[in-house]
Amino acid sequence: MEITLNINGRSQTISAHPTDTLLTALRHAGYYSVRYGSDDGTTGAGAILLDGRLVNSETILVGQAIGHHIETVEGLTTQVGELHPIQKAFIETGAIQSGYSTPAMILAAKALLDQNPNPTEAEVRDALSGILCRETGYVKPVQAVLRAAAYLRGEDVPPYEGPEIVDATYIGDLPSSPDDKISGPETHVTDTPATHTKPKTDVLLTSSIPETRVVGKPETKVDAVKLAKGNPAFVDDIELRGMLHAKLLTSPHAHARILDIDDSEALALPGVHAVIHYKNISRVKYASGGQSYPNPLPHDQVSFDNKVRYVGDRVAAVAAETPEIAEEALKRIKVTYEVLPAVFDENEAIKPGAPVIHDEDDTEGIHDAQRNIVHHIHAEVGSVEQGFQEADYVFEHTYYVHQVQQAPIEPHIAISWWDSDERLVIRTSTQVPFHVRRMVAPLLGLPVKRIRVIKPRIGGGFGVKQEMLIEDIVGHLTIKTGRPVRLELTRSEEFRSSRTRHPQTITFKTGVMKDGTLHSMEMRVVGNTGAYGTHGLTVQTVTGLRGLSSYNCKHRKFDCLVVYTNLPVPGAYRGYGGPQALFALECHMDEIAHALGMDPIVFRRKNWVQAGDPMPIAPLLGEGEKETVQFVPVIQSCGLNECFEQGMKAIGWERKYEPGWHEVPGKPHVRRGLGAAMCMHGTAIPGLDMGGASIKMNDDGSFNVLVGATDLGTGADTVLGQIAAEVLGVPLADIVMYSSDTDMTPFDTGAYASSTTYISGTAVKKAAEQVADQIRERAALMLGLERWHDIRLENRHAIAPDGRSVSLEAIALHSLHQDQQRQIMATASFVSMDSPPPFAGQFAEVEVDTETGQVTVTKLVMAVDAGVPINPITASGQVEGGMTQALGYAHCEEMAYDESGNLINDQFGPYHIYRADEMPWMKAILVQTNEPTGPFGAKAIAEIPKDGVAPAVANAIFDATGVRIRRIPFTPQRVYRALQAAKEGEAH
Amino acid sequence: MYPPKFDYYRASSVAEAVSLLGAHPGAKVLAGGHSLIPAMNLRLADPGVLIDIGRIDELRGISALPGGGFRIGALTTHAMVAGASELPAVLTEAASMIGDPQVRNRGTVGGNVSHADPASDLPTVFMALGATFHITGPGGSRSVAATDFFVDLFTTALQDGEILTAIEVPALPAHTGSGYAKLFNPASRYAMVSAAAVVTVSGNRCEAVSVAVGGLTPKATKAVSVEAALVGKQLDEETVAAAATAVSGDLGDDILGDIHASAEYRRRMAPVFVKRALLKAIERAK
Ligand SMILES: Cc1cc2nc3c(=O)[nH]c(=O)nc-3n(C[C@H](O)[C@H](O)[C@H](O)COP(=O)(O)OP(=O)(O)OC[C@H]3O[C@@H](n4cnc5c(N)ncnc54)[C@H](O)[C@@H]3O)c2cc1C
Ligand code: FES
Repeated sequence: MEITLNINGRSQTISAHPTDTLLTALRHAGYYSVRYGSDDGTTGAGAILLDGRLVNSETILVGQAIGHHIETVEGLTTQVGELHPIQKAFIETGAIQSGYSTPAMILAAKALLDQNPNPTEAEVRDALSGILCRETGYVKPVQAVLRAAAYLRGEDVPPYEGPEIVDATYIGDLPSSPDDKISGPETHVTDTPATHTKPKTDVLLTSSIPETRVVGKPETKVDAVKLAKGNPAFVDDIELRGMLHAKLLTSPHAHARILDIDDSEALALPGVHAVIHYKNISRVKYASGGQSYPNPLPHDQVSFDNKVRYVGDRVAAVAAETPEIAEEALKRIKVTYEVLPAVFDENEAIKPGAPVIHDEDDTEGIHDAQRNIVHHIHAEVGSVEQGFQEADYVFEHTYYVHQVQQAPIEPHIAISWWDSDERLVIRTSTQVPFHVRRMVAPLLGLPVKRIRVIKPRIGGGFGVKQEMLIEDIVGHLTIKTGRPVRLELTRSEEFRSSRTRHPQTITFKTGVMKDGTLHSMEMRVVGNTGAYGTHGLTVQTVTGLRGLSSYNCKHRKFDCLVVYTNLPVPGAYRGYGGPQALFALECHMDEIAHALGMDPIVFRRKNWVQAGDPMPIAPLLGEGEKETVQFVPVIQSCGLNECFEQGMKAIGWERKYEPGWHEVPGKPHVRRGLGAAMCMHGTAIPGLDMGGASIKMNDDGSFNVLVGATDLGTGADTVLGQIAAEVLGVPLADIVMYSSDTDMTPFDTGAYASSTTYISGTAVKKAAEQVADQIRERAALMLGLERWHDIRLENRHAIAPDGRSVSLEAIALHSLHQDQQRQIMATASFVSMDSPPPFAGQFAEVEVDTETGQVTVTKLVMAVDAGVPINPITASGQVEGGMTQALGYAHCEEMAYDESGNLINDQFGPYHIYRADEMPWMKAILVQTNEPTGPFGAKAIAEIPKDGVAPAVANAIFDATGVRIRRIPFTPQRVYRALQAAKEGEAH
Repeated sequence: MYPPKFDYYRASSVAEAVSLLGAHPGAKVLAGGHSLIPAMNLRLADPGVLIDIGRIDELRGISALPGGGFRIGALTTHAMVAGASELPAVLTEAASMIGDPQVRNRGTVGGNVSHADPASDLPTVFMALGATFHITGPGGSRSVAATDFFVDLFTTALQDGEILTAIEVPALPAHTGSGYAKLFNPASRYAMVSAAAVVTVSGNRCEAVSVAVGGLTPKATKAVSVEAALVGKQLDEETVAAAATAVSGDLGDDILGDIHASAEYRRRMAPVFVKRALLKAIERAK
C-alpha cells in the first residue's frame, strides 16, 4: 500500500505496509545506505535518525515512523561532489574501511554533534557504542567525530597527519642485555648449537628508503567518498526485474541421514518457483575452500547431500516471489531424518567407537575416515628426541583454543541472473571471485566461459568469504527458474552455516639449555575442522609453520591430526592458523622464561629470528601437500628489535618492575599486569598466490587500473592505486580503480594470506612500469628524441633529460588519435617464491578484578614491521582493527553449543564483539624496514595484528595474578574459577 | 529479516487501547518495540495483533508529585530517564547502563517492566525504590506495589486487556543515597547479576536500607536478609561486605545460568554486587 513518510525533510509516498520494518521499507524506496546487519538491533548497521535521535530501523515498524522525521545519510548531501563536514572528517581520518557501517556511524555522530558541539572522547564513544564495526577498532571513527566537531564549531582544522612511522635502525641488541648474541643461520652451525653470531651490520637492514611522492603517503581511500555517502555499492544495492528470493532449509540435527525429502506441498504454494535438494541436484564433489587449482583434498562436499553433518548444514533451498513465501515454503518441506550419534570434541572424535562422520564412499583423500582423521601432517627438522636428551630442561604445556566467527557486519549475499548472452552472472560478496567462478562451474554444469563473477564493495570478509559458500545455490536456482535469484544469509545463518576459526588442542614440548637457548621444540596439534575439510589441511599447516618459525632452534617437529567433528565448519579466518599457534607458543615462551627466572623479553630475544636466519621447517610445511616451497627461505628484513624497543616504551614496560605497581590505589580487589608477545607472520603463499593487473591510459592522461585483487574494505584498491600513481608520475586522483570482475579484470587468487599489497602490488607495479615505458617511447617520438629510457614521469608530465617536457594528456591524445595510433596499456602478473615475514611486538596492560574474574584490557600496543607501509593510514587501520578482533578472540568471543550441537549464541546479543565504548587505549606503531623483494619495500600487514593479543593478555593476567590460564577466551567466570582454584591450591 | 505477519492497530488514547485489547484477545501492546520486534524478527514471538500505544502522549514524561516523589509515564524512554537528574541516582544510573543509545532512545520504562525479563535492569531498581505501578484495564484503574507487580519470569500482575500507564517512585528521605551495580552480559549489556540499594544514614549508622537483586533470579527480589543484617549497623566496609553475604538466603533455589555465567558463578557474584551497590549508595548518602 501507499504510505507517506517524511524522509530527509521531504514528504514521500512509498510502497510499504505499516507492519514492514523501516529497514525493509527504506531499502525498497532506494535508501541503500540503511543496511542489514542483524534482526535484533545489535549491529546498528541499519541505524537512522528519527526526530534527530539515533534508532535502529530493523526494530521499528513503518507504522511507528509515520509522522516522524526520518533522516538517512542520503539526506546529508544532495549535490554530486558535496560533502557534509562529518563525512569529510570520516574520509580524511581513514575511519572508513569496508564502509558498511559508516553511514550509521555518521548519523550517530550527527545526532551527538547536533546536541553537543563539544563532546569529550567518552561521549563520542558512547554515541558510537550501538554501532558495531568489525574493522576499524573505532580508533579512527572516534578521531573523525572529534575532528568533525571542530569543523562544525568553525575551527581551523590542521591537515590530518597519518600515524607516526619509525625507521628500523639496525641495532643488534636492546640495551638491557649487552652480552646477548644474535643467532645466525643454523646451516652454519658447527660446534655448540644455535649460538652463532653473524655480523651485526646486516646490509639488508640499513633501510635507506627511496623518496616517493604517492607511495608511503597518507592518501585518502579511493572509495571513501562513495562509502561516506552511502552510495549503492554493495551486492544488495541493486534490484533486478523479476528477482526471486531464496531461503535455505538447514539441518536441525548435528548428524543425520536424510531418508527422504517431500517437496510437493512447498511447490504447491503459490509464488514458489523452485525447491532444490539432493534428489534433484546432481552429486558433484568439491571442497568449498577458495584455494588455487587443484583444491586440496578431500573433496567431501556436494551442493546437497543425503546426509547432514552439523546443525546448520544445508538440506534444501527454495526460490519464491517474496522472502515470506520462501520462508513459508521451507516449513512445508517434509524431511525424514535418521538421527545419528554426533561428536563435537576433536579429542573425542578420534577415539574408537566415535561416530564416523564421512562414511560415504565417494570422497577421496581422507587420511582415516573410520577415525575421522582427515589429515595427518608431520614434519621434522633434526631429531627432537635427541634434542630433548641433550637439553638441560624440558617443558611441556597444553593449550586450548576455541571456535569463533569472523562475523563481518555484511553477511554472505549473492545475486545471480542470466544475462542477454545467456551467461550466468553472479554478483557476490566474496574474497575470491576467480576461485568462485572455477569452482562453481562443475557444480552448475556450466563451462567457466559461461560464468561471470562480480565482486562489488564488500562489507568485510576476514576469510569467511574465502569460500564458494552460497554461489552454487543461487546459480542452481537461476538455472532452474530462469529468474534472477537473491540469497542473503540472516545473522543467525551467518553464525550457524558459514565458516569459523578452527578450535585446536596444542601441546608444546621444548628442550632448553641452561643459558636460555632453545634447543628442541615439538608441537603437537589436534585441529578440529568440523563437518568438512575445506581449509583444514592448510590452516593446520600454517599453525605448524607459525609455531615453529619464530625462534631459532636446532630440532623441530610438527605432528598434527586434522579431525572431523559435527561442529559448524571452520575455514579461513584472518591469521589462518597463526593466532592459534601463537597463543600457545607465546604463552609457552613466557612460562619457560618464568621457570628459568629470566625476563620474558630477554629470553625471547635470545632466541628469536633475525635477518639472515633461515626458516628450516618452511619447505616441509608449504601450502598443504603441494610443497610449493622447494628451498629454505631466509629472512631478509626484520625490525623486531626496534618493534620491541618502541612497543616497550609506548606501553611503559618498565612499570612492571616498580614495587607496588600491580596494585590499584583504592581498589584492593583489582590487580594490574603487563604482558608481551612476539609475532611473526607470512606474506602470501609462496609459489602459489598470483595477482594480475591491467592498466590503460585514457584521453586525459588518467589511467584505468583493473585488478583481480579483491578489496574487502582493507584499502587494497587505494594501495594498488598508489603504486600505479607512483610509477606513472601522477596523483592518485588520476587513477581509476576497478576490482574485481572475472570478465573485466585479470586473474587474481584473491584477498587472502596477506598477499594483496605484496603480490597484486607487484603485478600493478610491473604493469605500470610497462605502461610508463610506452609513455616514454611516445614522449620521445613527440619530442624527436632517439633515447626514451632516461625520460622521467613526474607531475603528469614526461620530462626529458634536456628539460623539455610533454604532458601525459598530450601523450594520450597523440597516441589515441594522432600518429601511429595505439592504446597505451599493459597487463602483468606476479607470483613470488618468497614470503617475507612481517614481525611485531604486541603488548597488553590489564586489570583483573579478583572478586569477579572480570579482565579489563586497558592498553594495547603493537609495533609492526611490515616493511614500507604503502599507505600509513590504511596500514595502521589494519593494525587497530586486527588487534580489536584479536582482543575479542582473547577475551569474550566464543561459539557456544548445547549438548546436541546447536549453537546458542547465533546473534550479537549473546555473541560479544567489542564496541566503541569498551575499547582499550590502543596504539599502532609502524616500524619501517625495506623488504628487498616487496613493491617499494612493502611486506604484509593484514594478518599479523591477529596473532599476539591473546598471549599478551594471558601473560599480562599472569603478571597481575600469578595465575596461568591456558584456555581462551578469558571470560569472567573462567578467570574467576582459575583464581579460586589457585587460592584453594595455596590453601592445601 | 522481517516480522511474521500480524495486524496492526494504533491507539490514540488509553481508553482506545484498552478497548482494542478487549476486541482482540491475545493482542500485544507495542510500546518501544525493543523487546517485542527483535523477538518477532527472530521468530521467538508471533502475536497475531499489535496495538501500538506509542502515540498516546499522556503516557510519556516525568513529573514531580505534589507530595514528593515522581510519576514516570509508561512510554518514557530509557534515555529520558537517564537524563532526568531529579530522579534517584539508582534509577538514572541503571537507565544509562541499558543496551546502547538506540535501545535507550526507543525502549520504554513501561515496556521494560511489563516484559519482566529477568535480565532487565529496571525491575530491580523499582523493587528497591518501593515503586507503585498504575494499571488501567477494562475494569478501570488500579495500583500495585512493586513486590506484587513482579510475579515470575516474564510474568507480571498485568492481566489480559490491561496496560501499565505509569510508575510512581516515592521521594527519598534526607541523608539517603542510592546506587546500582551490575555484572552485565558482555554482549547485550543485560544484567546477569544486578543489585540496587537505597540507604539512609545517620552519622555513620545505617538508619534504613532497601536492597533488591535481579538478573540471577526469575524476578527482581528484595534482599530482606541483607537489609536485616545492615539496619542499625555502623557502615564500614567490613560490615557492609558481611551483610552483603546474607543475600544468599534471599536468592531461592531457582538461579538462572547461561553460557556467559553459570548459576553457580552468579550465586557467588550476588554478594559482590550487593556490596558494590551498597557502597555506592552510602557514598552518595554522605
Ligand atoms: C540490543 C538490545 C539490548 C538491550 N539491553 C538491555 C539492557 O541492558 N537492560 C535492559 O533492561 N533492557 C535491555 N534491552 C531491552 C529494552 O530495554 C527494551 O526496550 C525494554 O525491555 C522493552 O521496552 P519496549 O518499550 O521496547 O517494549 P516492547 O518491546 O514494545 O514491549 C515489551 C513487552 O511489554 C509489553 N508492554 C509494553 N508496554 C506496555 C504497557 N504500557 N502496558 C502493558 N504492556 C506493555 C508488550 O506487550 C510486550 O509484551 C535491550 C534491548 C535490545 C534490543
Ligand atoms: S568499516 Fe566498520 S564494519 Fe566495515
